[in-house]
Amino acid sequence: MSSPIMKASGLEVHQATDVTDSQITLEADVVVVGSGAGGAVAAYELARQGKRVIILEAGPYVPSKAFTEDFTDSLQTLYQDHGGQANSSGDLLVLQGACVGGSTVVNGCVCFRTPDFILQDWQRDFGLSELTEAELGPYFDEVERNLSVHDNGEHEIARHGQVIREGARKLGWSTKPLRRNIRQCGLTGHCLSGCKTERKQSMLVTYLPWAQAYGAEIYADTRVEKVLTEGGRASGVEAVVTGQDGIVVASLTVRAPRVVLAAGAVQTPVLLLKSGLANRSGQVGKNFACHPSLLVAARYPQPIYPWRGALLGVHIDEFMHPDKGGFILEDGGFGIVEMTMLAEPGTGEPFMEYMANARDLAGLVTLIHDHNVGTISWDGERKQIDYQLSEADFPSMKRAIKAAARLHLASGATEVYVPASDRRIIRSEDDIDDQVDSLENAPQHLRMVSYHPQGTCRMGADPLQSVVKANGETHDVAGLYVADASLLPTSIIVNPQITVYALATRIARQMA
Amino acid sequence: MNSQSQARQIQRVWQQGLARRQFLKWGLGSVATVAAVAAGGFALLRRSPRDAVSRPGWAADLSDDEFHLFDRAREVLLPVAGTALVDSAAIPVVQNIQRTLNYLDPVTRKELGAGLGLLDNIAVFTHGCRFVDLELPEARQMLDRWGEGGVLQRTLATVLKQLVYSAYWQDPQTWQPVEFDGPVSDKWGLSYLGNAPLPGPLEVSAQETTV
Ligand SMILES: Cc1cc2nc3c(=O)[nH]c(=O)nc-3n(C[C@H](O)[C@H](O)[C@H](O)COP(=O)(O)OP(=O)(O)OC[C@H]3O[C@@H](n4cnc5c(N)ncnc54)[C@H](O)[C@@H]3O)c2cc1C
Repeated sequence: MSSPIMKASGLEVHQATDVTDSQITLEADVVVVGSGAGGAVAAYELARQGKRVIILEAGPYVPSKAFTEDFTDSLQTLYQDHGGQANSSGDLLVLQGACVGGSTVVNGCVCFRTPDFILQDWQRDFGLSELTEAELGPYFDEVERNLSVHDNGEHEIARHGQVIREGARKLGWSTKPLRRNIRQCGLTGHCLSGCKTERKQSMLVTYLPWAQAYGAEIYADTRVEKVLTEGGRASGVEAVVTGQDGIVVASLTVRAPRVVLAAGAVQTPVLLLKSGLANRSGQVGKNFACHPSLLVAARYPQPIYPWRGALLGVHIDEFMHPDKGGFILEDGGFGIVEMTMLAEPGTGEPFMEYMANARDLAGLVTLIHDHNVGTISWDGERKQIDYQLSEADFPSMKRAIKAAARLHLASGATEVYVPASDRRIIRSEDDIDDQVDSLENAPQHLRMVSYHPQGTCRMGADPLQSVVKANGETHDVAGLYVADASLLPTSIIVNPQITVYALATRIARQMA
Repeated sequence: MNSQSQARQIQRVWQQGLARRQFLKWGLGSVATVAAVAAGGFALLRRSPRDAVSRPGWAADLSDDEFHLFDRAREVLLPVAGTALVDSAAIPVVQNIQRTLNYLDPVTRKELGAGLGLLDNIAVFTHGCRFVDLELPEARQMLDRWGEGGVLQRTLATVLKQLVYSAYWQDPQTWQPVEFDGPVSDKWGLSYLGNAPLPGPLEVSAQETTV
């Protein structure tokens, strides 16, 4: 095979604007659905093995240079449902990227390996005895090397991270620099709008151009609607190509003996449900977890400029183990539009006064180890995300808010804003219990965001309890694989991209 | 029947709707269903002097009532007196809201419209007039109370606020007074790093090496 040729920047992508036929049929060895964390990695690994790979991506191709560093605009162009994807109660925004590169384009670059105690749960409860730390270690090493994952250097810890680290030190809480997949961070703070100067090592500048170098073809604006089978085996997919104006310009069929679903933990189960496949267990779309997260903001006596510097600097892992609380805190920057959603200081003047002092705010992101209590369903017209924070998880959420408040106060904050629908401001340790204990686990009370949907096609050894095997193939349909965050049998507490990359690498290698 | 008793009747229908659904779904979906039941009744509710004013030509994707609601919400939610912040009248707040709403799928858009109609009209039986006609302090108090209220009230208050807040703060004119930097990469002249090198052997084609 000749040496791979790679573009220095950008990708060659078939887009709706290129379409000249209203019906397109293609052939491949493998068709990959979705170009995010799981899809891009699987595509590269398979193309490198010499397979003819076609990647179909529902979202548009937006080259890095076209990123605007404007969060509102980015939500509309790069995110699923233009940034409006939410649970059925509307109180949990479920953010996912929907563009070539998927969520990796807009993510915060934080990298964690799957904690060993989570892998142990998977081994014990789901029969995934092969997924040990020793087995996955080399995959983690490899993807981390490929993606330039490193501990944040001192210059990558922005002022918000520095004050938080100092507070944690006073409290004696374990704090570490976050690890991130980035080269020469430009310190713009605009990660969630995509990295304009191609520093974030998202799929857009790594595994997708690499897959292309080995011959993979990428089709953007192409939404897969159905997985096809013949004689009980996967045989391809049917898709529609839609222009940016919403008009369908073509239907596209790919015939391939192997189909890899990597459309993310919301769309992959929807696709299986629409196709009526791989659901003997009844578990497709079930077990949705999402690390419902809060951004707890606080006001400091000195300017912080939460939008300046690297978005995420340090994390507090003191409470990570479920026996110690089951949550982590990450210091998080934010822009001015995100700030409006964080706190409820009171309507009118109090709110505008809070915004006028935006530069004095710092934030802490809470991530909890939630139970897999949600469901993704398809009613024939629309998908539905049913997820309410479970009673079992509400105490963890409250513990996380209390810890965030204590940490802010120890770091010198004068006011901590509880992200609820009513006005809750903590000014001293004495306020913490009052303000947090009276929170209700009711819809629309907390302002939650999920960046980490997972679990909806869970892996497991038992075909009656799980959707896919440890090698990613569905129990029911030969040649049909899942290689995205839907696989994770439980939530993993930490940010999941590295877990998805490692599993997708392993699945693709085992497919050979 | 006067408008207040009509409003009460609508609220009863509305609550029965919720009860039938056993409080299972609290989001805009449920708002829409009950609002749809009550929709006929809204037409009978108290009229506002604003009803005589048609929406401007650019607001074609909003109803007249929606236009008035958002424009009043802008005044209620974004007071700037005594601050260095930019007057919301100088920012295309309602245009920006319209653009956001245009991204919604038709079903959600309809549900949202119904929910916001409810917010506007429900003030009739607490305050005797529609939300758009409340004095500013009353309107602010109402939204504060709704933030502490039932699920439906919290939902509607939050949705209205978030639409208005993000429509205002997304405009670059609002950034300078709070020292928000906005886009910086081009301003700072950051270089583009291009695609990461392939793991293993790599050959970048000659004509494509310039970044
Ligand atoms: C704002 C944000 C911040 C985040 N920050 C971090 C972080 O700091 N660290 C971390 O570890 N994780 C982070 N994550 C999460 C991480 O990026 C995801 O867990 C990971 O990308 C999931 O990979 P995936 O393959 O399951 O799905 P995705 O990467 O979301 O890719 C799925 C792709 O499939 C496409 N698709 C969907 N349906 C179809 C269809 N029918 N046909 C064709 N294509 C389809 C979608 O458009 C999308 O591009 C963040 C996510 C977001 C949204």
